[in-house]
Amino acid sequence: MEVSFGSFQVAVLMAFLFVTMALVTIFVVVARQSSRNVAFETVTDTGYRLRRAWLAFLVLLLGSGVVLSLFFLPFPGDSKATATVNVSGGLFYWSMNPETIPVGSEVSFDVTSADVNHGLGIYDPDGVLMGSVQAMPGYHNQLDLTFDKPGTYMMACLEYCGFKHHDMMKEFEVTQ
Amino acid sequence: MSQAATATEAANTNGGVLHPLGEKFNPNTSKPQNLVGWLFGGTGLALFALMALVGLLMRFTQADTVGVSPEWFYRLMTLHASGMLAGALLSMMGGLWFVVRAVVPGLSLGRAIASWLAIVAGAVLIVVAVLIGGFAAGWTFLFPLPFDASGQWSTWAAVTFIIGMGLVGVGFMVYCIDVLKATTQAYGGLSGALGVKWLRGKDPTGPPPQVIAATAVTIQGVICSAVGMTIVMALLDHTIDGQVALDALWAKNLTYFFGHTIANLIIYLAAGMIYVLVPLYAGRQWKLSKPLAIGWLFTIVFVMTAYSHHLYMDFVQPGAPQMISLVASSAAAIPVAVVTIYTGMMLIWGSRFRWTLTSVLLYLGFAGWAIGGSGAVIDSLIPINFRLHNTLWVPAHFHNYLMMGVGMWMMALVSYMLERAAGRTASRRTTIWAPLLMVGGGYGFIFSWYISGALGIPRRWAVQPIGTENYSLVASIFAIVFLIGFFMLLLEFFSLARTALARRREAPPEPALASIAGASTEADLALGNAPEPLLRSPFGIAVTVGLAVIASFALLPPISEASEATIGFHHLAHAVQFFIGAMLAAALASTPAIARRITPRWTNIGLITVILLPAGMLLFMIPAIYTDIEDENFLHASYHFVVLILGFLLGLGASTLGRTAGWAVLISSVGMGLMFAAGVTGG
Ligand code: HEM
Ligand SMILES: [Cu+2]
Repeated sequence: MEVSFGSFQVAVLMAFLFVTMALVTIFVVVARQSSRNVAFETVTDTGYRLRRAWLAFLVLLLGSGVVLSLFFLPFPGDSKATATVNVSGGLFYWSMNPETIPVGSEVSFDVTSADVNHGLGIYDPDGVLMGSVQAMPGYHNQLDLTFDKPGTYMMACLEYCGFKHHDMMKEFEVTQ
Repeated sequence: MSQAATATEAANTNGGVLHPLGEKFNPNTSKPQNLVGWLFGGTGLALFALMALVGLLMRFTQADTVGVSPEWFYRLMTLHASGMLAGALLSMMGGLWFVVRAVVPGLSLGRAIASWLAIVAGAVLIVVAVLIGGFAAGWTFLFPLPFDASGQWSTWAAVTFIIGMGLVGVGFMVYCIDVLKATTQAYGGLSGALGVKWLRGKDPTGPPPQVIAATAVTIQGVICSAVGMTIVMALLDHTIDGQVALDALWAKNLTYFFGHTIANLIIYLAAGMIYVLVPLYAGRQWKLSKPLAIGWLFTIVFVMTAYSHHLYMDFVQPGAPQMISLVASSAAAIPVAVVTIYTGMMLIWGSRFRWTLTSVLLYLGFAGWAIGGSGAVIDSLIPINFRLHNTLWVPAHFHNYLMMGVGMWMMALVSYMLERAAGRTASRRTTIWAPLLMVGGGYGFIFSWYISGALGIPRRWAVQPIGTENYSLVASIFAIVFLIGFFMLLLEFFSLARTALARRREAPPEPALASIAGASTEADLALGNAPEPLLRSPFGIAVTVGLAVIASFALLPPISEASEATIGFHHLAHAVQFFIGAMLAAALASTPAIARRITPRWTNIGLITVILLPAGMLLFMIPAIYTDIEDENFLHASYHFVVLILGFLLGLGASTLGRTAGWAVLISSVGMGLMFAAGVTGG
């Protein structure tokens, strides 16, 4: 299986690197200030005031992350699906019906497992992970995805299932 | 007197190990504290060292440079994770105990040792299951994988592993019950020990921060271990009687509630320790404050409700837990960022901070928590999780805060005890180089995972996708750099230990400890810590008896006969019988005549009861046991009566643990029965 960076993932990584850099800066600054001799009251005077701003900032930042998330939930809604594909995971294979998907379709995957828990991850022809859903015995998870690009896609297992977990892959075609 | 003058004076007395103004915050130590500190901290660090080597071997395997087979990779993965988590848990349990015992002498040494024994015994069983039995279902042992081994291990190995995990849960439970009992007894009940009374102006001084942390963590710990016991017992029932069927979604919920929460609590245990250790090097006290007390209340709520983010990609999981978890996972970061880490930074700022090996490690731990926590929050947003779930982003963020956060604090605990015992600091060379190598190596190692996560590489793959082996190779080299720093630190530890031993030979011998088991109850007796009755007033007793009576209506023939229709309802009926027994006992034991007679001498036996009985009840709920007697009215009735008696004994046991810990186990034990009824069928 080949993998490559998706633009979404790179954006997330960049955001994280940015946060990390900001945090590292703070920790370096505090460490450098640690050797000075400042009365604790002076530190807390500013510290408590800043803390309120810091709290407000975090609530705003995390809150907007949570609210934004609600608009992009991957959970199945009122499906506009033009095709249903049944997928079942088993030790150590994927079975899929039908096996090809016409390009442009909005597919609703009905995903389950024949034995233990598996995870269905779908990689596009460039090797970018489009998303995933769990394959659980006794349950059917519905995953809606749109296929705009023709080519060879890959299913891989994203839930540990045993000694050939990493071999549990299957290619499928999205055709014109 | 000027600050500088005080500074030099104090420096003369403590050999400069601490901040000149820090000595007065140094916790008083007693023999029990030192014993627990060395035992828990030492075991934790030893496991860390061993499991780090296992981890390195795994990463090299992924780099395709060593010939470990996938079969063995997954065994090592199971071992590494279980061993590391057990080690980190032990270490931080010990660290918190060390600092809390200084202010709460009611903590029992005997019970701390019992908890250590249970966890170590669990770890030994896990090692046996993996290395001899070949068990490799991962430390999360998600049902039904332990029983569907693709020929890799047999049932005994799965059972050994599950019992091992159960023992880790039992050990943690013993610790949590004892700490909760002691802190709430010392600080005026749950609301006193959590600082709620203080917040409401009803307690002028309030508990010190480490007591709030200890209380908040251990009350969650009781609940979390009860959930753990439920899934463990359900899996054992399934082994004993193959007809016992577990629902996979239910099992996953329980497993992650237990596994996620216990792993997450490790860092909160550590926070309690940090409140005491950082002031030693900053020379400023970590005081009780409103944000701190409120922050911990929020932490309890959010940590207990965040686990469902492990089930984001189970679209059949009901929407409510998903949404609660979405909010809780983000919100849990706020007390950490705004209270604990922020206050830590304020204490350090402009304090003429005393940088020693210990304090460097303490400081780095904050950074690991902050950065790793950010990685966690990002992954907890559902649309992002859709593309990062079970990719290498996951080990990236949790190694970030476990290895670079908790790991640093595990080392800091031992380093603190060593520097203190040796009366000198670590060498300048180690103080600079060991942390430098660990930070450089550790973050390099972890960032290769963040990047691989963005690449969409799945976690837990023995063989990496074609063309990505170099990430594993580079990461392995970084891991070696980390380990060089770590072993440099260990060498320094040996040298400090030598100084400490030499120093001890010169010092007058400390008084020997009376028996370990006795030490606990003696302390309680000396302190007059008789357990408060579960119910305070006649009214409370009446209400409890009333509840038992109302519940017993559910056992009247029309309803109980209907309950025979499905196994789930039948189990529910058992839970109700258990509940009735427990409530009656709680009421009985709270009557003045009996409550007066309950002494701390019974606490150990009570503790054993409240751990064994709920487990026994669940073991008892195997259709193979009760279906045969279903038609024999007398036997059937006796069976139900036994369940009621079990509940009654549980109630008696709980009443030896004081009000808070007693109710915590009562409620969670009845909860165990209810949870069991919700997910276990078949037969
Ligand atoms: C030098 C130190 C360490 C090294 C080299 C190391 C290495 C590894 C590797 C290679 C994996 C497998 C990741 C994958 O492909 O999914 C792993 C997983 C894991 N590690 Fe570590 N690790 C280290 C420290 C720690 C620490 C300190 C902890 C906890 C306190 C820890 C807990 C875990 C856990 C829970 C897993 C997950 C296993 C699973 O997915 O079932 N590790 N580690
Ligand atoms: Cu699989």
